[in-house]
Amino acid sequence: MLPIWAYAGYKLNRELKSKQVPLLALAAAFSFVIMMFNAPIPGGSTGHAVGAAIIAIVLGPWAAVVSISVALIIQAFVFGDGGITAIGANCFNMAVVMPFVAYILYKVISGKSPIGSVRRLAAVAIAAYVSLSVAAGFTGFEFGLQPYLHTDANGNPMYMPYGFEVAVPAMLIEHVFGFSILEAIISMLIFAYLQRTDQSLLMGTSGLKVNKEPQKAAPAV
Amino acid sequence: MTIPAWMSKVDSAPCEYRVARGGRKNFVRKSIDGVVRFFGESMASESYANRPGLLQGLDPRIKLVSILAIVISVSLTRDIKVLAVVYALVLLFALLSRIGPLFFIKRVWLFIPLFTGVIAFPIIFNIFTPGDSLVVLAAPGPGVRLGPLALPDTISITGQGVMTASVFTLRVATSVSAVVLLFLTTRQDMLFKSFRAIGMPKVYVLVMDMCYRYIFIFMEVIRDLYTAKKSRTIRNQSLADDWKWVGSRIGYTLVKTLDMSEKVHRAMMSRGFTGDVKLMNDFQARKRDYVALSATLAFSLALVLISQNIIKV
Repeated sequence: MLPIWAYAGYKLNRELKSKQVPLLALAAAFSFVIMMFNAPIPGGSTGHAVGAAIIAIVLGPWAAVVSISVALIIQAFVFGDGGITAIGANCFNMAVVMPFVAYILYKVISGKSPIGSVRRLAAVAIAAYVSLSVAAGFTGFEFGLQPYLHTDANGNPMYMPYGFEVAVPAMLIEHVFGFSILEAIISMLIFAYLQRTDQSLLMGTSGLKVNKEPQKAAPAV
Repeated sequence: MTIPAWMSKVDSAPCEYRVARGGRKNFVRKSIDGVVRFFGESMASESYANRPGLLQGLDPRIKLVSILAIVISVSLTRDIKVLAVVYALVLLFALLSRIGPLFFIKRVWLFIPLFTGVIAFPIIFNIFTPGDSLVVLAAPGPGVRLGPLALPDTISITGQGVMTASVFTLRVATSVSAVVLLFLTTRQDMLFKSFRAIGMPKVYVLVMDMCYRYIFIFMEVIRDLYTAKKSRTIRNQSLADDWKWVGSRIGYTLVKTLDMSEKVHRAMMSRGFTGDVKLMNDFQARKRDYVALSATLAFSLALVLISQNIIKV
């Protein structure tokens, strides 16, 4: 995880300059609070989105890596969701795998279609659905790997007792038939809202590339 | 005129945040409750961080390194007695730092059934941990399968399974307690700055610090969005309409985020920000900090040695 963070920092440094600090800070705050938006689920329960896909699509994957990582670290340290030793794995699944899978799928599927097109909407839904499922699969894989890596002297697993045959399906099934569907629908609705209201955000210029034009000097007064 | 006594008295106890009870809890109510609870908890943490206690008086960098050492060594420990001792020590330090023990224990154990319990619970059965049966639950007979798993002839709770699950849960509880103790006794801005000590680049420290502040602003935005909906709807809407509304509000918040970051950027530029991050270094380690650091490092080392069977207990 460390080299990815270092590279993300380098990449952003070059492309965003001074603007990166407020943009990333606020994007991270947004990634943090997106989980507070509850939506109703048939059957009287509620759920919320992870939001990594939509953040990657709007801000670009590298900005997503940094802002989601920051949100996860704050969650672990400041709000006591624990998971300090797992933070590397956590960030890898949710702040690297998910945004990149989502971003690449979105780019490939949407192609050169107009910003307001239905095809882009479908691309967002598929990107969100697949990226969360893949991230869940990775998590299951990491869980499943543990009994092979860490066992005590008697051969008993130290951390996770479940092998691949249990961990991967367990993580995948609940996501493929549940959480990923919710993520896809909500991401699509967010995207539809942005299509209706502010298409300039979806041109791929709001995140990384915004400062490629030379910084305008403040008018001297 | 003198200031009345009740006004000059500073009450540093965590204030109670109450959410209205009763009635059906739909997604609107749940969201508002979530935000209110969030504010309540952060207020409580802040009040603890400002109390005069043992850990509050230590250098945040020392605390961060010490707690990380403890967490790492705990993650290697698999002896339940050793884990229990470490957990008791963490509780003791919480007490010495004037943190209400009930509040502390509740805070830690609230999440554990949800996340750890789900993982730990199946371990107690002989499906996952073969061993000596304590209680036989069912006897489906030979050859029954559950998905990819071949079920054994009888399903029972095993002694080894209960042991593994307890060790697993206690280990998580101990590490989470240690980290909760760290942030309850450290002011957030100090905590972020202390990350410098473990090599986090300045720009990330600044981003985290700003992010933390804007989380509160966005939380208020969300509370207001949901409160506005609650006060303007008089009947239930269709699921599709509700979902559309949630999607549009997240989209709106995203638009607001980007717009606000633009404004914040301009405000920073106009105050002389050039992209070069400068942080004030206001830490000063004293003698007691070094004593604390050596004590925790020695303790962690002992834990590691015990876990590797180099020291026998």
